[in-house]
Amino acid sequence: MNEPRELVEHFFRHEFGRLCALLTRSLGVRRLDLVEDVVQAALVQALETWSRRGVPEDAAGWLYRTARNLAIDALRRERTHAQALPRLAENTEREFSPLEAQFADEIGDEPLRLLFVCCHEAVPAESRVAIALRTLCGFSTAEIARALLTTDANVQKRIERARDRLRELEVEFDTPDAAQLSARLDAVLAVVYLLFSQGCHVTHGDMPIRRDLCDEARRLARMLAAHTVGDVPTVHALLALMCFHAARFDARVALDGAIILFEEQDRSAWNWSDVREGMAWLARSAVGDEVTRYHLEAGIAWEHCRAPTFADTDWRRIAELYDTLDRIAPSPLNSLNGAVAEAYLHGPQAGLERLAAVPPEIVPARYPGWHAVIGELHFRLGRHTAAERAWREALRLTTARADREFLRRRLAVCRPDGEEPLESAV
Amino acid sequence: MPKFLFIFRHSTDPQSRPSPEEMQVLGGQWYAWMQKFSASILPGGDGLKPSGRSLKAGIVTDGPYVEAKEFVASFSLIQADNYDAAVAIARECPGGCNAIEIRELAGYA
Repeated sequence: MNEPRELVEHFFRHEFGRLCALLTRSLGVRRLDLVEDVVQAALVQALETWSRRGVPEDAAGWLYRTARNLAIDALRRERTHAQALPRLAENTEREFSPLEAQFADEIGDEPLRLLFVCCHEAVPAESRVAIALRTLCGFSTAEIARALLTTDANVQKRIERARDRLRELEVEFDTPDAAQLSARLDAVLAVVYLLFSQGCHVTHGDMPIRRDLCDEARRLARMLAAHTVGDVPTVHALLALMCFHAARFDARVALDGAIILFEEQDRSAWNWSDVREGMAWLARSAVGDEVTRYHLEAGIAWEHCRAPTFADTDWRRIAELYDTLDRIAPSPLNSLNGAVAEAYLHGPQAGLERLAAVPPEIVPARYPGWHAVIGELHFRLGRHTAAERAWREALRLTTARADREFLRRRLAVCRPDGEEPLESAV
Repeated sequence: MPKFLFIFRHSTDPQSRPSPEEMQVLGGQWYAWMQKFSASILPGGDGLKPSGRSLKAGIVTDGPYVEAKEFVASFSLIQADNYDAAVAIARECPGGCNAIEIRELAGYA
């Protein structure tokens, strides 16, 4: 016990989520606030004890016992929720059984249950991510606010709204049956994917990629795929998609934190074990006749990973995939990415035409990427004035440091139209 | 050598509670602090459970003391040559507590 033992990375955070899931099973979703309080208190006790005496062998078990005892104390004090006591006591007996060695495996799907509870259709969509990040991933209010680009107060409100709804519904933690779970799978995947995308496209601050969020999203999705309910092609496709994106993280960020243009990325810096994992998921996703947005997006990401050099990219295939994606999941961002593919396939003018076809009422005028792409396409046509106008708009809208640097570098190469011969534009 | 009692106070404001991730970092920093000053830290220090009892004018009340802005979370016994040396040790404490009160033991007992 005296030997200092290194805790694995994110141990506290992940244990927070696991303990919340475990205790919610005994106390019910209505007591999420109590659950979080005792789990937090258990971590405080661990901090005090472990920093004095070192980390115990069975750190996870220590935390669970402490949190459970704190919960029992709290319930005794309340005396109003006595019905939950027998369930906690039951767990005490189980804990001392010879099965204790399998402790961690035995309760493997509790976090998954909690994920489905967080995605209950009664919980407002924008509250789902917040409550999932809090209870399952152990993020603080401030950390969630940073991740979701909103204020602490707003996150607090979303979490409270989620708790209120769950309380009103008197949702039992362990009630949803397989059919209900499958029905809620879409919402769960939406939350996981949102988590991942928030991690990929940070739009403010100094960190171009919030790796933690991406890692959490992949952790949740892998957990999902390991369970009967989530062991379905859609989940495999989402995992493939996330792996292909994650593979390119290291290459996307230059040493000074600037986002590296896709064309200039060093492909040898891609993480090939992520690519291999993605390929395995992609293969498993190609079963049945359902094609989801995740399948198509995974297909697109795979096309990018598969090309040995940028010049080898199969833009025809990618443009086709975007066309299909636009039909089943229309979104201005899909149009934007589709336009980029179109531009590589048929030239910048074709890309601009595709963007011009997007109905004005759904143009994401406040999204810097929209203007950045328009600027790039104009620039490649030699229309520097139009490029400059678009890039300035993009710069005005973006707060992320790496993106601002990138745009400034692009603006620096703009010349008033006519000063430079057309062919010098790439 | 003089002995000092370090009284560590934490805020009761839930907003100021460190997140699990921050707590894990703090844990490592505290452990390093304890290792570094192991020759000065005397046995007997401990953390305190969050709630307790209070006896005032014959009336016992339950903690936690919600009205307080901060509460005593833990204490350590430190031996040091003088206040300056004791304060120097306290200064190197990791963050995470609002205040550290440093009191020399009077030596009556």
